[in-house]
Amino acid sequence: MTENIAPSVARVRIWDVPTRVVHWLLAVLIPTSWWTAESGNLEFHRYSGYLLLGLVLFRLYWGFAGSSSARFTDFVKGPRAILGYLRSGSAASTGHNPLGALSVIALLVLLLTQITLGLFAVDVDGIESGPLSHYVSFEAGRACAEWHDTLFDVLVWTIGLHIGAVLFYVIFKKQNLIGAMMHGRRACAQQPETPIQFASAARAIIGGILAAVLTWIVARGLELP
Amino acid sequence: MHVRFSRKARSAIAIMTTLSFTALYADAPTAPAEVQKARHDHYHELGEQFKAVRDLSRSSNPDFAALEKSAQHVVNASIDQGQWFPKGSGPEAGKTRALAEIWTKPAEFEAAQKMFSDRAPTLLTAVKTKEVNAVRSAFKEVGASCKNCHDTFRSPED
Repeated sequence: MTENIAPSVARVRIWDVPTRVVHWLLAVLIPTSWWTAESGNLEFHRYSGYLLLGLVLFRLYWGFAGSSSARFTDFVKGPRAILGYLRSGSAASTGHNPLGALSVIALLVLLLTQITLGLFAVDVDGIESGPLSHYVSFEAGRACAEWHDTLFDVLVWTIGLHIGAVLFYVIFKKQNLIGAMMHGRRACAQQPETPIQFASAARAIIGGILAAVLTWIVARGLELP
Repeated sequence: MHVRFSRKARSAIAIMTTLSFTALYADAPTAPAEVQKARHDHYHELGEQFKAVRDLSRSSNPDFAALEKSAQHVVNASIDQGQWFPKGSGPEAGKTRALAEIWTKPAEFEAAQKMFSDRAPTLLTAVKTKEVNAVRSAFKEVGASCKNCHDTFRSPED
């Protein structure tokens, strides 16, 4: 049996392991956070929140120190580039297109805000609370909890938009973005002009340790041992 | 016809009038909305004091005088709450998270309230021993008694 793939189509590796792992862990932990809050299991809700905080911190680090396709400077574009992309439908980079970049930024900002609100939140009975709630009054902690609740809806709508956009690419543009985020490779007509520079595993490990330590300090209420 | 009262008699009438009005108002039933508001405020204050206990007991060497004040408030609330749910102050009287089950299952509700009033003094006792670990575990126990009642008799947040 012969391969049917046209010789001109190359399978180019675009997403590194850390970027993919972070993405899919977010996809698992956001519903976990929702479910633990919904069922009143605030202890596991906190654990899930800590993991999310660690992941977001790592992703921010990776946005500056990671592989080129994960770096903010590589994919965050201004309105002109976004409009240009919308008109032409083709992006200069093989990684995130200018529109997808908006998705990444919006989700990261929303997530970080949502997590921060959770850190200061206090429940209506003063029994359950985030690890930094002792720095704020009961009233302020309640306000954080209410914003935490409201912002979750915004997060859900944004995630919905993100999934909708991805499905649009899969169905109408025949670009399997979901597969690419799983195995890291994407079919390209030709090799990208500027090949993606992949960051070393050591760099990822350093980032992982940094994110974990920072999260641990936050979870302890910003108190060092 | 003029009726003349002596100064003493006038004073006596004034005092009696005042007293009877006071008695009248003291016995007058409070409007359900007021009862609900007062109840809400009581629990808000309790939440605030609970947070204070939690925050204070984070430290390994907490302010035990402040802890005692808050723990005493919790104990007082656990006794007073028996008065916070008069008949007619449920969902039929306006927006409240208090469920109708409070009045349809009075025995269960009283048992839930008793769990709180039984456990609240253990928090105060723990504070008086000046053992922060004892305070933390008593706080957990009292908190569980709050949750126990809320699970059945308070509607979920919307």
